[in-house]
Amino acid sequence: MSTEELLKEFGKYAKELDTKHDRYERIIKISRDVTIESKRIIFLLHTIDPNKNNFEKVLNEAKDRLNKVCLTSFKSIAKELSDLDQYQYLKAFAPGLQEFIESYTYYEYCSSASNPENGQQMCSWEDLQKKLTYESEEGKKTYVLVEPLEFILGVGDLTGELMRKCINSLGSGDVSSSFNIANSLKSFYTCYKGLNVHNRELGRKIQTLRNSLLKTDNVSYNIKIRSEEAVKLGKTFDPREVLEEINAPKDEHVDEGFF
Amino acid sequence: MSSNFVNEELFTKFQEYFDHEQELRDNVRQITRQIELASKKADTKLQLIHSSVDKERIASVCAEVRRDYFTECVEGFKNLAEIIPPGQFYRYNDHWNFTTQKLIFIIGLTVYLETDGDLVTREQAAETLGLKCSQAEGFHLDIEDYLLGILQMASELTRFATNSVTLGDYNRALKISKFLADLNSGFRCLNLKNDAIRKRYDGLKYEIKKIEGIRYDISIRGLIPANGNEN
Repeated sequence: MSTEELLKEFGKYAKELDTKHDRYERIIKISRDVTIESKRIIFLLHTIDPNKNNFEKVLNEAKDRLNKVCLTSFKSIAKELSDLDQYQYLKAFAPGLQEFIESYTYYEYCSSASNPENGQQMCSWEDLQKKLTYESEEGKKTYVLVEPLEFILGVGDLTGELMRKCINSLGSGDVSSSFNIANSLKSFYTCYKGLNVHNRELGRKIQTLRNSLLKTDNVSYNIKIRSEEAVKLGKTFDPREVLEEINAPKDEHVDEGFF
Repeated sequence: MSSNFVNEELFTKFQEYFDHEQELRDNVRQITRQIELASKKADTKLQLIHSSVDKERIASVCAEVRRDYFTECVEGFKNLAEIIPPGQFYRYNDHWNFTTQKLIFIIGLTVYLETDGDLVTREQAAETLGLKCSQAEGFHLDIEDYLLGILQMASELTRFATNSVTLGDYNRALKISKFLADLNSGFRCLNLKNDAIRKRYDGLKYEIKKIEGIRYDISIRGLIPANGNEN
């Protein structure tokens, strides 16, 4: 093979590598947009406050914004991945997908909690997969793979938001919400504990879940103790005392940045 | 109320999904081990080039490697292609990408010896292993695995050059030097990210430095054969 022929071959390889790298970068960029918007939607959902009676308004806005993410960012990713092996680019869009799953299931939780009689169960990855599957006018199907592991990891992040909501609800005097959330977290923990899956990221999430769980257990315990005490003393029970007890400021919102 | 929210069934389903994946991975590992064994044997056979300049013996080793080991690898990859679901190549390929790279190195070396100096192209290499060239066609040879394999071959060739000099075949060393220089200009065409290829490619620069040293050694002693012919 002459030097020229060799260079020609490598020219082909270069083109192929560039195409792949460029696509990867574009997907990472879109995935970042998804992450940012998802975090904002979660933040928005945290502004639900029974004292302001703003359930409906916030939930509607969150729903619209979630739908918009599906129809813009995810649709663009689906287009990039059309006819390709989704797993080749999974690492590029997994962070955004996880964050989106977190915000989507958190929306579902808030929506379900606002409707005590008719509380909905959380969705499955198949439900979400349907939302992230698109059909063009010519009938061509594209999709963004909702990999089940990513879904389970995203739901793991949801538990962190629930812990925050549990503590914030105390601040607004919504004791029953706090109790309910604490119970949901217990169920989640049982489910995660029951998994026999070896994955480092999952292990970390379960550890974080355990820490959240310890906090919400403590909240439930204090609510019980304080309210019994209040009954005995003939006082009205103010859940904010519990907040002081567990030493968590009401507006605590630790997140991974981005705001 | 919202304690109904938690979908326990989902976790049971996920466990099943995961178990199924593990099962497939176990099978993949088993097949990969066979391919790896064949590549190891081929590699061992080819060590002959470092201690003999006998062209016929080298040619017969190349033929043997093709006949006994490459065919076995083809069989292995065929089995892999059968159990990997379409569109999930990259879900499992970390089980066999190192083995593939090593095989590319061995195929590259074999082709180099057989043709006395040609670089195996990606297409030829893929064909030797019974693989396709592009993702769209199915089970294929990943471009990065190909390039990484070629870089592995480069360091083996440097060793080959050193030992050729020891065995008195100066011409061989010069040819390899030219080949590596060409390869280097080939790799320079690529826009590499900060990835595995870049790291291995940085190694190529040292190989080239080393082989330039060899060139220098033989030329300063007047050992360079006239007109590229031996003697």
